[in-house]
Amino acid sequence: MTDPLPATRLPTTPVPVTDTLGGRPLRRRGPRDLPRFALLLLLALLFLAPLYWMVSTSFKPEADTIAVPVQWIPAHPTIDNYREILTSPDGNILRWAWNSLFTSVAFTAAHLTVCVLAAYAFARLSFPGRDAWFWFVLSSMMVPGIVTLIPSYIMMIQLNWIDTFHALIWPGVAGAFGVFLLRQFFVGIPRELEEAARLDGANHLQVLWFVILPLSIPALATLAVFSFMASWNNYVWPLFVVHGDLQTLPVGINSFSSRYTTDYGKLMAGTAIAAVPVLVVYLLAQRYLEQGIAVTGLKE
Amino acid sequence: MTTTHPRAPGGRRGLHDNHPLVPYLFLLPHAVFFLVFLVYPIVFGLYISVHRWDPLSDTQPFVGAEFYLNLFRDTPQRDFFWRTLINTLLFTAISVPLLVATALGLAQLLFRPIALRTVFRSIFFMPGILSVSVMGILWRWMFENQSGLVNNVLGALGHPTIPFLTTDGWAWVPITVGTVWWTIGFNMTLYLAAMGNIPTSVYEAAELDGASGAQKFRFITVPLLQPTTLFVVVTTVLASLQLFGQPQVITAGGPARGTQSVIMYITEEAFSNNQFSSATAMSFVFGLLMLVFTAIQFRTMARDIRGGDRT
Repeated sequence: MTDPLPATRLPTTPVPVTDTLGGRPLRRRGPRDLPRFALLLLLALLFLAPLYWMVSTSFKPEADTIAVPVQWIPAHPTIDNYREILTSPDGNILRWAWNSLFTSVAFTAAHLTVCVLAAYAFARLSFPGRDAWFWFVLSSMMVPGIVTLIPSYIMMIQLNWIDTFHALIWPGVAGAFGVFLLRQFFVGIPRELEEAARLDGANHLQVLWFVILPLSIPALATLAVFSFMASWNNYVWPLFVVHGDLQTLPVGINSFSSRYTTDYGKLMAGTAIAAVPVLVVYLLAQRYLEQGIAVTGLKE
Repeated sequence: MTTTHPRAPGGRRGLHDNHPLVPYLFLLPHAVFFLVFLVYPIVFGLYISVHRWDPLSDTQPFVGAEFYLNLFRDTPQRDFFWRTLINTLLFTAISVPLLVATALGLAQLLFRPIALRTVFRSIFFMPGILSVSVMGILWRWMFENQSGLVNNVLGALGHPTIPFLTTDGWAWVPITVGTVWWTIGFNMTLYLAAMGNIPTSVYEAAELDGASGAQKFRFITVPLLQPTTLFVVVTTVLASLQLFGQPQVITAGGPARGTQSVIMYITEEAFSNNQFSSATAMSFVFGLLMLVFTAIQFRTMARDIRGGDRT
């Protein structure tokens, strides 16, 4: 990182990851790619091994999880682990999953609403103090999360929000990143479309709802997926502000793990239950997620 | 387009269109949450850090910089704060080069068309969406002494079992390996997108000059990816400095605080020891350190924004 930045800048047109390389034909160098394919295959297997090991262990009776030599395929496959942890009073996995789902959906909806309104004002309206406030909001991105953790926690005590959904949902609603991402996107929408609607008598809310938002689906989807994942996987904050029945899945599954430190069959079943929904969501939202990371990561 | 007529004359008409208050109404929800949950906690935190804040007491006497000075005086706070800060910096120094170089390597392997490319990309990216506790529990199991997969493989190769989770030094291995597995796909995706931005003509010109694949990588790909590398490095450094969940779940900070990160220690001071003022002071000191890195990131991003506006 000691070299100065090159004078040449990358072209700024976003080129999402596609299956062609410029105009070059595919598979121009077929056979020579065999080593590369083999290497990728090996790496992919290494990456999948932990997930496979999780699933495999979750179907083993306790004695078999520590069997030597290791059982790659469960010798006595059983679904007892799943049955027991789903019905055990120790860890209410379904309740945690519901808490996570409710929190994440509510957070995403509130976050998008708040950010859309603010981003519209920043992108489309002019008013005194706009730029100063925009930079003030942006500058908050520089504040590391740890700085607000303890004061926010004390605020939750003072508000009587400990062990309520309020503590999980509201504090993160006003991010700078969401406003920034949407504002950048809204700025790029041609003004002519908006002016036509205004001539028809639409007010700002109607312009936003009928003109801007339908054209902003990619940005909204990206932000929605990001918000949902961030909330779903949030660990530090829920660890301290909610306990017992209100625990979210990531926290609950870890408290559950201290109860089953040695019974890895049950532990892996619980982990699999926590992992599968998010893997399914990923496979459905994959395109948005990867492009969203590529585009927002580089452009913003 | 839906046609809507301006509202009938009346009180509401004033807010319909160009009323000067309208923009502020759009901003209001965001501004309220922003001020209450982001700006106020920072100010409140400063207040807490210079008072002796006791949740059970009615009075919070002013103590000035005492809790900041404790980090430089002979106190347990000083010992643990700097030790866990060094742990964190060590983890950052080891994990960042791995996470950047390996991501670049993966992206290079995956950029040119190849069979199953989308499948490979998904496989490398997928672990990143798991929550940190799922990832942590999984890797604790992988490195378990007796029956973990890693020790089983070592055993099959004739190597004695290594008690990774409980040996000073070795305990960083599961944390680092797990973190690489967990987050590499994110950086890889950034690199893949940036590689797509390099014009093919540059490579074609190099090919005409007889450049080998390695030469093209060394003299074209790497230099042209430098802005991306800077971005990836800075974001990865920031993420690594905030290390918390992985050691919390995999080793619980052990053995003997050997893998405790600075954020783990700050939360322990606050929530286990009930030393809120001391912990807040530490978080401000640590936050200042992170601010230095974020400032670099901010400048990098600002440059990209300006570049984007010109086109």
